[in-house]
Amino acid sequence: MINFKLLNSILVLFLTFASFAYGNDYIQEEQFVNKFADQAIEILSNEDIAENDKTSRFTELVMNSIDLNLVSKFVLSKAWKNSTDDQKERYLIAFKEYFINSYANKLDQYSGEKIQVVGSEAAGKYIIVDSNIVREGTDTLKVNLKWRLINRDADIKIIDLNIEGISLVIAQREEFQSFLANNDNDIEKLIDKIITVSK
Amino acid sequence: MKYRILIVLFLSSVLVLQGCASKEASVNDSNSETEIVSVNDPLEKVNRVIFQFNIIFDKLILRPIAITYKAIVPEFLRNRITYSLNNLGMPITAVNNLLQGELAKAGVSTSRFIINSTVGVLGFFDPASSIGLESENEDFGQTLSVWGVPSGPYLVLPFLGPSNPRDFTGLLSTSLLDPMYQIGGGSASDSQRLYRMGTGAVDFRSQNIEILDDLQDNSIDYYAAVRSFYSQGRESQASNNLENNTKTQENDIFDDFDIDESYVGPDIEIIYD
Repeated sequence: MINFKLLNSILVLFLTFASFAYGNDYIQEEQFVNKFADQAIEILSNEDIAENDKTSRFTELVMNSIDLNLVSKFVLSKAWKNSTDDQKERYLIAFKEYFINSYANKLDQYSGEKIQVVGSEAAGKYIIVDSNIVREGTDTLKVNLKWRLINRDADIKIIDLNIEGISLVIAQREEFQSFLANNDNDIEKLIDKIITVSK
Repeated sequence: MKYRILIVLFLSSVLVLQGCASKEASVNDSNSETEIVSVNDPLEKVNRVIFQFNIIFDKLILRPIAITYKAIVPEFLRNRITYSLNNLGMPITAVNNLLQGELAKAGVSTSRFIINSTVGVLGFFDPASSIGLESENEDFGQTLSVWGVPSGPYLVLPFLGPSNPRDFTGLLSTSLLDPMYQIGGGSASDSQRLYRMGTGAVDFRSQNIEILDDLQDNSIDYYAAVRSFYSQGRESQASNNLENNTKTQENDIFDDFDIDESYVGPDIEIIYD
């Protein structure tokens, strides 16, 4: 009933296309992602440490791996330029709290997912490492995750995560822009809101 | 029946023509100064009202059903339903593969449907993926995008949620072009469609309870967050089929942001330790 020859040729065709998708490899950056994922999974899957401890260890890893200063400025976009130094400093502190709060107390939801790096390519000033989040025990339920990295003299930092085509940093930026547009472009209101939500 | 197909053709031709017109216009625009990519949401005020209505509908009806569903139906069964919904969508994907000129993909989608409906017991299992037959769902909205139709302004539809004129047309046409609907005819296909819509909504909601609750609680502007997720997600699905994909657009946004910090003025650095 099923023509297996046809199926096989479709399969071969499919795999050929898949292997052409990536040419350039940025080994350093791929290793960075693998190392980050290994360390993160080690913390997340450790049943012996308390929830609070888990969050602080995870935060330490994240803060060492991400350029949060750059991300903070990027999501604020034009409003950054128009802010006073005092506002900038208070905003950076508030955004860091908000950022940590976004994953704190949720780390116990980890259920054995793994990161498989599948390739890398240059994108302007950045390198994008392409990977899949794979759930243990299934090979068909995959979530695509792209890491936007910046490499300054071998000092690699994360700039953005893109999940199934959705850039988290761009989403955050659009959210802040929308809030400012609806609140007289007042950065003070944004800072207050960020602090309220983080509580 | 003919009437329905006419509507689809009419709607798509209008959109395609508009697409051509607006493409020309945007070429002219791009000659002027570089603009910061802005969100296409002229109906924001109305959209926000409908969005609030949908949140209440979700809170009172959809979310409680999804929570109950998740609580009483074991994960194994829930996965079977997810797979069966995917399988019922395969013929639509195959039709859209064809409309997009993707013959090989149409072959894969059709094979998937045949294998999973038989060997996979009415689509409750997915043996096709295990032999390498994988395909992504394609809907008519994505086909319109391949045909060069722009998404148009962001729309929030009552009950149905985020959309835009292109995807809404796609949604209407998808049910009309669905081979399952055409073959079935009459009540059988109607109940099957209801199964897909109703169960599909609960299935989707139950898979996203924590994520959506979380997004709602931690958003600075929940409406804008959902809008961004929807628009980015749809654009990237559509661009899977196109050469000039949204990846370049995304790269441009990031490249506009100068790493040497001259763009952002005097720099405040906080040392994180």
